[in-house]
Amino acid sequence: MKKIRICMGTSGISAGAKEILNKLEGKLTKHGLENDYEIIKAGDRGLFNDVILDIEDENNLFIYENVNVSSIGKIVEQHLLQGKPVEELLAGEDYRQFFASQKRIILKNCGIIDPENIEHYIHSNGYEALKKSLSITPHKVLLEIKKSELRGRGGAGFPTAIKWENCMLETSAQKYIVCNADEGDPGAFMDRSLLEGDPHSVLEGMIIAGFCIGADEGYIYCRAEYPLAIKRIKKAIEDATNAGFLGKNIDGSEFSFKINVIQGAGAFVCGEETSLLNSIEGKRGVPGFKPPYPAEKGLWNMPTCLNNVETFANIRHVIINGGEWFKQIGSENSSGTKVFAVTGKVKNTGLIEVPMGTTINDLIKGPAGGMINPNLKCKAVQIGGPSGGCIPFWELDTPIDYEAIKKTGSIMGSGGLVVMDEGSCMVDVAKYFLSFSVEESCGKCVPCRVGLKRMLDVLNEVTEGRGTDEHLHFLQEMSDTVKSTAFCGLGGAAPNPIVSTVKYFNNEYSKHIQEKKCDQKICEALFVVEIDKVNCVACGKCKTICPVNAINWKKGEKAFIKQPLCIKCKACISVCPVGAII
Amino acid sequence: MIQIKINNQNYKTSEEKTILEAALENDVYIPNLCYHKDLKPEGACRLCIVKINNRNGLIPACATKVKADMSVITHDDEIIQKRRNILWLILSEYPFKIDKKSELYEVVNHIGAKQWMKQFSSIYKNFNVIKDQPLFIRDLNKCIFCNRCIRVCQDLRGIYAIGAVNRGWLSIVNTPYQKTLKDADCKFCTACVEVCPTGALEDKVEFDDHDKKEKLIPCSAVCPAGIDVPEYIELIAEKKYQQSLEVIREKVPFPHILGIVCPHPCEGECRRKGVNEAISIRELKRFVAEKDNERWKKKIKKSKKTGKKVIVVGSGPTGLTSAYYLSCLGHDVEIYEALSKPGGMLIAGIPRFRLPENIVMKEINHIVEQGVKIKPNSRIDSLYELLNKNPDAILLAMGATIGAAMNIAGEFEERKSVFDGIKLLEKINFGEDVSLGNHVVVVGGGNVAIDVARSAVRLGVEHVHILYRRTREEMPAFKEEIELALEEGVQINYLTAPISILGEDERLVVKCSKMKLGLPDESGRRRPMRIKGSEFNIIVDSLISAVGQKPDLAPDFDIKKNESGYILVDENFKTSQNTVFAAGDVVTGPSTVIECIQQGRDAASKIDEFLGGGGDIIQNFVEREKKNPFMGSEKKFAYKKRLKGEYIPLQARIDNFIQVEQTLTEDKALLEARRCLKCHYRFDL
Repeated sequence: MKKIRICMGTSGISAGAKEILNKLEGKLTKHGLENDYEIIKAGDRGLFNDVILDIEDENNLFIYENVNVSSIGKIVEQHLLQGKPVEELLAGEDYRQFFASQKRIILKNCGIIDPENIEHYIHSNGYEALKKSLSITPHKVLLEIKKSELRGRGGAGFPTAIKWENCMLETSAQKYIVCNADEGDPGAFMDRSLLEGDPHSVLEGMIIAGFCIGADEGYIYCRAEYPLAIKRIKKAIEDATNAGFLGKNIDGSEFSFKINVIQGAGAFVCGEETSLLNSIEGKRGVPGFKPPYPAEKGLWNMPTCLNNVETFANIRHVIINGGEWFKQIGSENSSGTKVFAVTGKVKNTGLIEVPMGTTINDLIKGPAGGMINPNLKCKAVQIGGPSGGCIPFWELDTPIDYEAIKKTGSIMGSGGLVVMDEGSCMVDVAKYFLSFSVEESCGKCVPCRVGLKRMLDVLNEVTEGRGTDEHLHFLQEMSDTVKSTAFCGLGGAAPNPIVSTVKYFNNEYSKHIQEKKCDQKICEALFVVEIDKVNCVACGKCKTICPVNAINWKKGEKAFIKQPLCIKCKACISVCPVGAII
Repeated sequence: MIQIKINNQNYKTSEEKTILEAALENDVYIPNLCYHKDLKPEGACRLCIVKINNRNGLIPACATKVKADMSVITHDDEIIQKRRNILWLILSEYPFKIDKKSELYEVVNHIGAKQWMKQFSSIYKNFNVIKDQPLFIRDLNKCIFCNRCIRVCQDLRGIYAIGAVNRGWLSIVNTPYQKTLKDADCKFCTACVEVCPTGALEDKVEFDDHDKKEKLIPCSAVCPAGIDVPEYIELIAEKKYQQSLEVIREKVPFPHILGIVCPHPCEGECRRKGVNEAISIRELKRFVAEKDNERWKKKIKKSKKTGKKVIVVGSGPTGLTSAYYLSCLGHDVEIYEALSKPGGMLIAGIPRFRLPENIVMKEINHIVEQGVKIKPNSRIDSLYELLNKNPDAILLAMGATIGAAMNIAGEFEERKSVFDGIKLLEKINFGEDVSLGNHVVVVGGGNVAIDVARSAVRLGVEHVHILYRRTREEMPAFKEEIELALEEGVQINYLTAPISILGEDERLVVKCSKMKLGLPDESGRRRPMRIKGSEFNIIVDSLISAVGQKPDLAPDFDIKKNESGYILVDENFKTSQNTVFAAGDVVTGPSTVIECIQQGRDAASKIDEFLGGGGDIIQNFVEREKKNPFMGSEKKFAYKKRLKGEYIPLQARIDNFIQVEQTLTEDKALLEARRCLKCHYRFDL
């Protein structure tokens, strides 16, 4: 049967996939085609804010991109009824480049299969890894993981096999598997897409982990802001249970396993493992002491193996293809692939899976399609969210590798990657990430609760033109104090955006402090918008767009800005045809 | 034991200790604020950071266990600098002045405040200081979020009245949904106040190190005998009645009597009053006294016979108490009692409907069982008569047994129908016939006045009036007794005083005057003054004077007295005669049973010292165990009402001398005992 596949993850739905689907179904019925096509409601493919629709018959696959409610009618009428693909709506070069330069292993099913249909997953080799695991011993499973040198994808890159082995060696009768799906980095949505697009792959990883370490119960801790993901996990758990992959005596073996879903209230700190466990137990989500590590005393004081969504999604590939196969992918110290949520000033924003070892430059120029504005070069990349640091343009040949990235002062993190161009003010960037950390600090320890807040206060003074050398010195010294004394890793990493921007873009801080100037015209107190009389062509477009009537212009005369009225919205800059406003 | 190095010095410690504990016990100070010896480590303040060999970075000493051969550095340039920065952060949010009594002050003194970025000092959050809730003040501006209060409330006490609210920089300690403490089911154990290191939580009552216990366990502190009130209340709550009674008996030999007639100064100071109503401490004592199986007798510490002989004059609470303890100390004690029955005021001065005779006799018998001899009908009118018996010591404790004068015209004329209240009570109590007529007026506002008025009602007098020269507020009689008297039909005429007694023997004409209150006198009460022209006459069958008492010493009793007729003693209860001591009402003037008991205790101790003993009258019946700090949460705890025993109905009591107040039922006693705030628990922290 012919198939129509529509990508309906959170991203697709927000771009109108539901309405498109309704209309599509209406049209098919109207034209009596409803029995000719199987409609597959797939997850997202990773391209941001884009509805993708495939039409697949025995021989051909047509991919439509940026489909909307008005174009779907045309696709039905022209393509389905007349057999003529709508050329202008077919996915183009950018789309091709986006996918062609990725290596999709764990995202492979995303946007292709129907996540709510377990048959689709099984058809893609699903639960084969589980069956294989059950046919060998837990030790052999562990051996494969060891060989793969898979490292935790939550951010710190701790070797998964060591974690599993520690849990395995614990003699407690009760152990737990916990999947951390509390994706909190701003702009990151790798875990969400995986859970929405291929939930069974995560479940399968968890079940195998349970078999390996001897746990019979697992928890998925997913933030409540991901309702669709939660719905799909729950559906997947139900289907897997009905199919015998969860529950008692899985696949006829002695092994039993069940999975519960816990909704987190969306606190960033609950991504930290001890906080997450506290939260599952119903306590306030604040970090606890390590040691003991969760592998010894975790959930309800029982040995607990806690991994990230993406880590679990890798497991089935390691088991099916073998640890050695997996080790082949990636770099020396970091095997496999890594999914990034790429945002910022690049052409293709979205989820990008590349082999470890790929340089950041290759990622930007390859799947991300390069910079949006060819005139503004890449200035820096922030990796690792608010806990990460920025990597300057001259370090962009750094390979994506836990150690290599750490050397730059950033961290791999869970996969947030923001590309900034020359229009970005690095002081403002630091302020942005710091204010996120101030909001999201759990409040437990003084350095994080008060230290970050005071640093933000100081940074605000800098961006408001009241900075002194003492401010800069304060930021550096306090960053050092917070990094070395905060209770948990989140607090300890929170100064990273400041440390790295001060390190790499000290000149921008100097400009802000000594000259009271923000060259990128971001920090409002530190720039003025002016019209260059020489270049002005007296077109008056700036006057028309100015929302506060701050521009003086008469026909045939050059415009000028009445500074006291200007609110620095920069609308005039964007409309000036000759770039005379600076 | 293992050996560790701290700052390159060797120390011995045990393995389960944290670095901070090991350092502190060896007098190496590591600054800390969130650490508390009784609480789980929190690691929040980060001031206790140290360096350890073979480990990178700075490690919180409060949360890291020692290991053999560990080498710890507690102070170096980096540690000091970072501590200073952290302290700067703490102080950047702290209001300007640091409470000198607080731990924070010590920490600041040790680490030193950093002068840095002055625009960011003391940016506190301007919370309203919460002063209108019971027992303590909460100033969240001073909170540094060390979480000690939360841990003590949740982990240690299990109450969960407070917790962490909000996140990040806005994190504060509060009740759920900002409820009042009462609505959050706070149990007001004030452990949170005890552990607060910054003065954010502060007791409303002021104290210093010396009087802390007195101020925070006021029930015990104000008890003249110093009974361990919270302990016995708690034992009642745990249904350990014998133990509870033993705790009371450690200090007093008359639990049952006190449980009925003690004026309970403890209840007046009970901290539960600040929450809603005081605990019914006296009634709980009565309840538990009635559970007595006399197990305590086996625990009495008795000294060997000393061969010394002590004579006690008077078998009231002072004399009996003193005799009891002196006898326990091995002395031979004999009491001379003027009346036909022992007990002094207990038997003669308190009406039976308040204190039944059998209860008094039971507790006196306990004392007799200890070997004290009591000689009734043996009034002593001459000191030499006693000295001739060659005792090693004499204690004069004959009380204040005759009425004081009203000082009005006609008072001293011999009349059949003018009575001394206290003597009249004695007669009634001893079952003698009295004839009062149908209209009786009682003069006075104390317990005797009320007691005699109520007795008159019971004897069938139709109209009983009390004349009192001040208002009800100033009346010294027990509030409950006044209520009962009114209920029984006694009329009280306030601001009224007799000024002369006229008329015939059969019918008295009493000239009275209305009064007004002027400035306070030396007793602190406002002085009553006659209102000119307000005089009026009343005609009554009898007048009973109950305006105070004085000792009834024979005129030639050779001992130094003051101008009011009370025996003069020094701080050791010694009188002007070498072997003669005096204590109780005969020295102090009319007082309460519990005060007399304390006089008796102290006198016994001094007499024993005089006789060559150590003066140690302490009886330890109950080993005090370290408390289980858990209290648990209880819905509406703060709103639980004070429970009292029932009174027998008016009709059933108005014409007889049956005891009016009934004992608390067991259910009520348990509920009441469980209302106690357990103020003493705080001292285990």
